[in-house]
This record gives sequence, C-alpha cells and structure tokens, in this order.
Amino acid sequence: MSRMNSPDRPVLEAEHLTKRYGKRTALDDCALAVPRGRIVGLVGPNGAGKSTLLNLTCGLTTPTSGALRVLGARPGGNLARVGFVAQDTPVYAGLTVAEHLRMGARLNPSWDGALARRRIADAALDPNARAGRLSGGQRAQLALTVAAAKRPDLLLLDEPAAALDPLARKAFLHDLVDFVAELGSTAILSSHLLADVERVCDHLIVLSGGRVRVAGDVRDLLTDGRRLEELVLSHLEATR
Amino acid sequence: MIWLSWRQFRAQGVTACVALVPFAAFVVWTGLRLRDDCAAECVRAFQGRLYLLDAVLLALPAVLGMFWGAPLVARELEAGTHRTVWNQSVSRRRWLLVKLLFTAACAAVLAGACSALLTWAAAPYDRLAADRFTALIFGARNVAPVAYAAFAVVLGALLGLVLRRTLPAMALTAAAFVAVQVAMPTLVRPHLVPPVTADARMTVEVLRNLRFLGADASIEGLSVPGGWVTSTSKMRRSNGDPVDLAHYGSCISASPDLASQCIAALDLHVRAEYQPAGRYWRFQWLEVGLFAAMTATAGALGLWRVRRRPD
Repeated sequence: MSRMNSPDRPVLEAEHLTKRYGKRTALDDCALAVPRGRIVGLVGPNGAGKSTLLNLTCGLTTPTSGALRVLGARPGGNLARVGFVAQDTPVYAGLTVAEHLRMGARLNPSWDGALARRRIADAALDPNARAGRLSGGQRAQLALTVAAAKRPDLLLLDEPAAALDPLARKAFLHDLVDFVAELGSTAILSSHLLADVERVCDHLIVLSGGRVRVAGDVRDLLTDGRRLEELVLSHLEATR
Repeated sequence: MIWLSWRQFRAQGVTACVALVPFAAFVVWTGLRLRDDCAAECVRAFQGRLYLLDAVLLALPAVLGMFWGAPLVARELEAGTHRTVWNQSVSRRRWLLVKLLFTAACAAVLAGACSALLTWAAAPYDRLAADRFTALIFGARNVAPVAYAAFAVVLGALLGLVLRRTLPAMALTAAAFVAVQVAMPTLVRPHLVPPVTADARMTVEVLRNLRFLGADASIEGLSVPGGWVTSTSKMRRSNGDPVDLAHYGSCISASPDLASQCIAALDLHVRAEYQPAGRYWRFQWLEVGLFAAMTATAGALGLWRVRRRPD
C-alpha cells in the first residue's frame, strides 16, 4: 500500500502497451509514465489512439498485450478513484439533472454532494431539466460534474470540450483547472484542439499512429520559446 | 443501484401496467359472470373467451422479454450510457446483477398477478372442462407463468448484451422464447415424469369427444379428466389385431352420430400414455424449477459476458 500511495509513483504507467481491433492497431507498443497532480493534455490527430488509451485506462477495454497500471492497480480495479467522462459525454436522456446527481450519490461511496450541487448551480443548470433537453455544453458540464463529485484521484476526459462553442469551451476549461486543483487530483484530457491544451495543461503526450511521439512537462518541452502548436506539428510532421 | 434500476424501469413498468388494465378488467368481469348463476351450459359458452385470455397470458412473458428484457442492456450500449454507468464505483457485474434481479422480479410479480387473476376467473370452467393439465392451458394457470416471465426478461437482457442492438435483440428474444414455449410441452414436459399407460375402450361417448378420427384408425383428442394424455396408439381390436380398415372406413363415411355408434360396435381399444390429474402440481413446480434454472444460466452467462466484454 505504501508503494501504491507514494507521491512519486506515477498515476499511470504503461509498458509495451498495445491494442488491436481486428487488424487495425490502435496503440502500438506504448510506454508512458504520467506523474501525479498534473493536468495532462493528450493530443494527436483523429484516430491517433487517444480514446483507446483513455478507454484502456478506465478499464472499458482491455489491452491486447503489454502492461498498464492505474493508481498502482489494474485498470478498472479502482472504480471509486477514477472518474471518466466519455466522448460525446453520454448522460441518461430520460433522467433530470438532479436525478443524475442522485445516481452519482447512490453509486459512489465517496460522493461529494455539496461539490456537485455547487457545480450545477455555477453552470446554471436547472436541476429539474431532463438531460436529453440540455445543450451539448450543458451535457458536458453535467457529465463532468458526475465524474468529479465522486472525488476521483484520476479524472479522465475524452474530448470533453468538443461539443462546446469557443466561449463555453474557454469557461469549461477554466472550471476544469479550478477543480482539479480543488480535488488535488490528476486529470488527463484528450483533445485535437491544441489551443485548449495550451491553455490548461502542464504535461503533454503527443500520440500519432498509435505511438507516443513525445511526452513530458510542457515547460521542459517549450524551453526555447516555441509555441505548443509548433512543437506538436513538428513532431507530427516528422513522423508522417 | 436499486434506485437507478427502478428509475430507469419506471416508465416501462407504468406502461405495461396501464396496458394490462383492460385485460385485468375483462378477466374480472368474466370471472364474475362465470359465478353469476351460470349452469354447465352457460359455463361452457365461455370457452372461446377464456381461450383468448389464455392466449394473452401465454404471450405476456414474450412481450415482457421484448420490452423489458431486450432493451435493459442494449439501450445503454446504443446510447453510450454504459460508459457513464460503468465508471461509477459499482462493478459491471453488480450493476447487471441488480438490474436483472430487479427487472426479472417485476416481470415475475406482474405475470404472477395476471395468472392468479385468470386462474381465479377460469376456475368454474376449469372444474367443468378438467383440462388445466393440457399443453396450452397448463402454461396459463397458477405458478408456471411467473417462471416464464423471469426467464423471458433475463433471456432478453442477455441477447441485448450480446447483440448490442435493441431491435434485433427484441426480435430474437421473441423468436427464442416462442421456440422454447413450443419445445417445452411437445418435447420436454411429457417426459419429466414417466407417463402412466392405460388401455381405453372406444365407447360411443369417448368417440364423440374426439377431435379427429383418421382413415388409418388413428385418433386425436382423447382426454382423461384433469389429466394430460401425451400419446395415443392407433385403434386396435380388443385382441390386439389391427382394425379391419374396410369395415372401419365404411363407418367413418357415415354421419358423425352414426359413425360413433358404428365404430363403437367394433369394440376397439387404444393404448394411451398420460399424466394423471394428481401430478398437476408436481408438474407446475417442475416447470418452475426448470425455467428458474434456465433463468439462472442465462443470468450467469450475462454476468460472465459483461465482465469480459471488450468495448
């Protein structure tokens, strides 16, 4: 246990991680170590393997080969400590916002009801509105609230801001930074929008063609005053 | 988890109950009229109406399997909400187990209530006709429908989990359940307990109540009061010799009344295999046990599948 909870131990460790869907290789022999307490940007073109990596991390999918440890355990073995907001932020169309919070409270022993209610109020969501009637942005806020209020140590977000207009996206990401800090957790968010990542992330993983092209602290990677976009594009172009 | 199961089930549950209100009202009305100064002739007149109600009760488990069972998991997979609910602090197996138990229990209660109502309503007719053991009516009385409903729902959920699509799962659930319901009384149930064999003399009375007289001296529709005849041989002479088909043929070409007298005069016999009336409850519980075992098997397959299922 001491080793598992040690602050030095990466929250996510992957070695030779490979995932194939039939003949298609989504992730190819990836090695990763994500340190604790960061907001990690997972970037790369469509089909690079971002969603696959996140689905493997939360245990929705199993690797074809290789090893993956999440918070020191097998993926999916720590359901209470990992929060996941899937792509397209799926919520129950027939349930109201308040009922989503009730679901979260019933299904998570570590549920923080006060945090959830505050976030819903901050996002100006009507608790009595059915989730099916919410806009894409509101749905994303609801899904993020449900994932965050279980107070996970690791929060995974798959293209969380994709459905939002630029203004809502900015607010959403700002919120995200706030409460990752409040939770004292680690967040990994995938995005193909580099501007988003540049705004909030302090750690970067660039995926392309199922391989990790570059990974590390944003400050270390951007030492020579380059912009993130140039850095990522140069890596992606080099591997083309 | 129980709250979520209930919340997701609520609309479907209310819909089913509302849809069954006319059925229940009609059953009660029929039951009251059967008891309202109704002599044997009057009771017999209810046969057609009761067959209709039997048909509804026999179809009910299949409908529950389609509309409650098949979408249970398939709808989550289609909407993508499984990715939300599987990332709460409840394991997938526990999630599925609670959903299955809750929905199957609701189906069992609903089917049980409908069956109890029809069993009560039809009691005067059943006493008179003494046919509650026969293949079709057996499944529309007492406890058997409870087990059918639970099985249909769990089967539907399993097929939804495997097929991942609601509509195909609904169609396959209906087809598979109907296949089971046809195979059960024809292939399985007659052999659950070795039948009793008896020799029956073809009297005028017996012949008149038959459903069918074949040109080859075969018969259909022999009945034993309260029991269930599972097979009958061709008619033979009392010493075991085959029937003189020429003579027999001239008999059955006569009018039905004369034919019965003419054949009875030949002193013919059949060997019948049947389950006597006293075994009725044993068979009801055997049926429940069998379907409970199939329900448990389907549920276990589902739990195994949901754990291993790659997204």
